[in-house]
Amino acid sequence: MTMHEVEENPLDVYLRADRMPHIWCSGCGLGIVTGAFIRAIQKSKVDPKLVSVVAGIGCTGRIPGYLNFDTFHTTHGRAIPFAIGLKIAKPELHVFVISGDGDLFAIGGNHIIHAARRNVNITVICVNNFNYGMTGGQVGPTTPEDARTTTTPYGNIEPAFNLPYVMASAGAVYVARWTTLQPRKILDSILEAMQKDGFSFIEIISPCPTAYGRRNAQRDAMETMKFYQYKTKVKNGADPKEGDISLTGEILTGKFVDIQKTTYMDRVKMLIDKANKKGA
Amino acid sequence: MATTYIIKDDEKTRKWKTPHGELYIIKDRCKGCGFCIEFCPKKVLVESKEFNAKGYHPPELQEDETKKCINCGFCAMICPEFAIFSEADAQSKDVGQIPEKEIPIPESPKIPEIKKARDVLTGEHFWNGDVAAAEGAIAAGCKFFAGYPITPSTEVAEHIAERMPQIGGVYVQMEDEIASIAAVLGAAWAGVKAMTATSGPGFSLMQENIGLGAMTETPCLIINVQRGGPSTGLPTLVAQSDVMQAKWGTHGDHEIIALAPNSPQECFDLTIECFNLAYKYRTPVVLLMDESVGHMTERVVVPEKSKIKLVDRKKPKGEPGKVKIYEADEDLVPPMPYAGEGYNIHMTGLTHDERGYPSTIAETQERMIKRICDKIRVHADEIVRYEEFMTEDAEVVVVAYGITSRVVKRAVLMAREKGIKAGMLRLITIWPFPEKKVRELAKKVKNFLVVEINYGQIVLEVERCACPSKVSFLGKMGGAVHTPEEVLKKMMEVCK
Ligand SMILES: Cc1ncc(C[n+]2csc(CCOP(=O)(O)OP(=O)(O)O)c2C)c(N)n1
Ligand code: SF4
Repeated sequence: MTMHEVEENPLDVYLRADRMPHIWCSGCGLGIVTGAFIRAIQKSKVDPKLVSVVAGIGCTGRIPGYLNFDTFHTTHGRAIPFAIGLKIAKPELHVFVISGDGDLFAIGGNHIIHAARRNVNITVICVNNFNYGMTGGQVGPTTPEDARTTTTPYGNIEPAFNLPYVMASAGAVYVARWTTLQPRKILDSILEAMQKDGFSFIEIISPCPTAYGRRNAQRDAMETMKFYQYKTKVKNGADPKEGDISLTGEILTGKFVDIQKTTYMDRVKMLIDKANKKGA
Repeated sequence: MATTYIIKDDEKTRKWKTPHGELYIIKDRCKGCGFCIEFCPKKVLVESKEFNAKGYHPPELQEDETKKCINCGFCAMICPEFAIFSEADAQSKDVGQIPEKEIPIPESPKIPEIKKARDVLTGEHFWNGDVAAAEGAIAAGCKFFAGYPITPSTEVAEHIAERMPQIGGVYVQMEDEIASIAAVLGAAWAGVKAMTATSGPGFSLMQENIGLGAMTETPCLIINVQRGGPSTGLPTLVAQSDVMQAKWGTHGDHEIIALAPNSPQECFDLTIECFNLAYKYRTPVVLLMDESVGHMTERVVVPEKSKIKLVDRKKPKGEPGKVKIYEADEDLVPPMPYAGEGYNIHMTGLTHDERGYPSTIAETQERMIKRICDKIRVHADEIVRYEEFMTEDAEVVVVAYGITSRVVKRAVLMAREKGIKAGMLRLITIWPFPEKKVRELAKKVKNFLVVEINYGQIVLEVERCACPSKVSFLGKMGGAVHTPEEVLKKMMEVCK
């Protein structure tokens, strides 16, 4: 008999196993994102005590609830400002925001562009499933033109946000986009983002078979993944301007921005030094 | 304790060549999603017949003459369980383990501690109410302010912006009030005393997150310097019309604590009190100022630092990892863990159980919401503060708060000169409403007159409690304070 030992899953410590089973549909990409995230934390060797994960509301917003760190499930759209408060008040925390595209760019759109502008040292992971999953598949700011959702029964008439482009223009120091068919890239990217001092942003395009896929000629999750397989183009360093996503066109993925700028926490420290020199 | 995968048997770990080196399949890690098989461009992977330790059929390589593995490594890239590795990833003996490299994670600069920070400006000052409240917050140990400017609360923000860096604190001007209160809640969970200041329209925007604060039992201070409304109303003129909004602005059952100062001195004192109440009862607290008090300049005496009594959070007693973070003590208030202390907090605005886990059971809602409300209702006597003025023999008691109470005091004196036995009950605590006191007075006083700068808000509470006494109302739509003569005239009418 051959011998092998498989004991407890080394990743179990990062999960609240007592909360399983999770609420997500089968075929949903959120499990892949969760897996990649905890592996990145494991690989980074940061003290799990100092990891804080903040989310807004939505299917994606439920990720932190399954993670065994300090986790915060805030109100719809307000994860970013909550995370900013957390980070500024305790800069030694590694603060992550994991939330949906609707949460971060519709109701929370104002917050995310200002967080990027201020270059607050947090890492934002935005899961884009092209619709509002949790409320049953309504149109959102990333829904491609002509796509069908529950509130665009004749096809979406609004142009969609190109998230990496928005983030790059707002001032993020790290911007990347991947699909859930590239979990290894997601992991590497989260690790890279953690190494950035400043506002880093990763968009992860993920299937939502229940609310979006089946209304848009993707009968199941596998078909959505197949679509990603054929349509994804990896082009690191590409101009995020080219990253528009249409219903049937290519999906540009890769790392688009990787720069360095003075961070918000650096400036806070400089300000405090300045104020106290003047006072003395 | 978690153990790593130890794959001792090479047979369990199949390998083949790719451009990136050899590929390994760690069969026991496979969860059978089939992505590698489904997406293999050459269709050379198949499900094996054997089961792995998890009970799935892991993939294996099966090549025939027409289909050959071209070593593209796509399977390794897409495996969500990272069960297929290239050589580069698997140099160590434990092929299952992600190779361990030191990854430099930058540390954000810490906020410097200011030795001898002048946080309590002991002595006499000539401050307006807004500035006094800002100084009160600093004296209470507040180190984080997030806000968005709005008249008539701007002086709070301006003063704090100047003072915070001097004491090693942070002033952040957020993009709006929603962000401000959210950041305040975040900072509070990080373990820092945090506050915001606003006025009517901003207060309205904050409501959803005030609810989040109540639900998650987050201690923080919200100063609302009231102005005329609704909508943008009277930006620079007084009103007391956010009283009901302070209590009921956010949705769902909850309790709130709100205090109303009537002088710059009280703005200072009550701000400290607000922080103490917030930390004692783990709840957002509102300092309900009005424009006149905010903009009135008077003498403010700041005591010595050692004379200021501060209340801190109750710390969890058990070991991190073992405490249920929402388990309340006998006083119905749970101790509060902070982020980064190892308690693995789960904070959610969803109805949650003692562990902090969301729950959709009516019993949990019953238990938790009742407790969140009761922790304040039960302690109402400790929280409630009021001031009585000439009520001992009064035949008419005027109920007032904030700036109005100063006018009423004058009117009461004028009435006494005219032989009318008048008195005043000044509410300092607005919420919880000093119900007991009003009921007690109602036993001996037949006539109550409520004077406030709105079209009838606190009067409803007084009516509720003063029954069967007669309750009259003298309102004002905002923009100006009542004159003592107006109050006197109404008092005379009431006493007829
Ligand atoms: C203020 C407010 N408005 C609306 C909602 C309802 N709501 C819950 S989740 C959601 C959309 C979530 O979409 P997205 O962020 O894309 O996340 P997904 O569920 O797709 O992962 C909405 C509108 C809410 N919770 N709060
Ligand atoms: S609705 Fe969509 S996003 Fe939400 S769990 Fe189901 S598949 Fe995932």
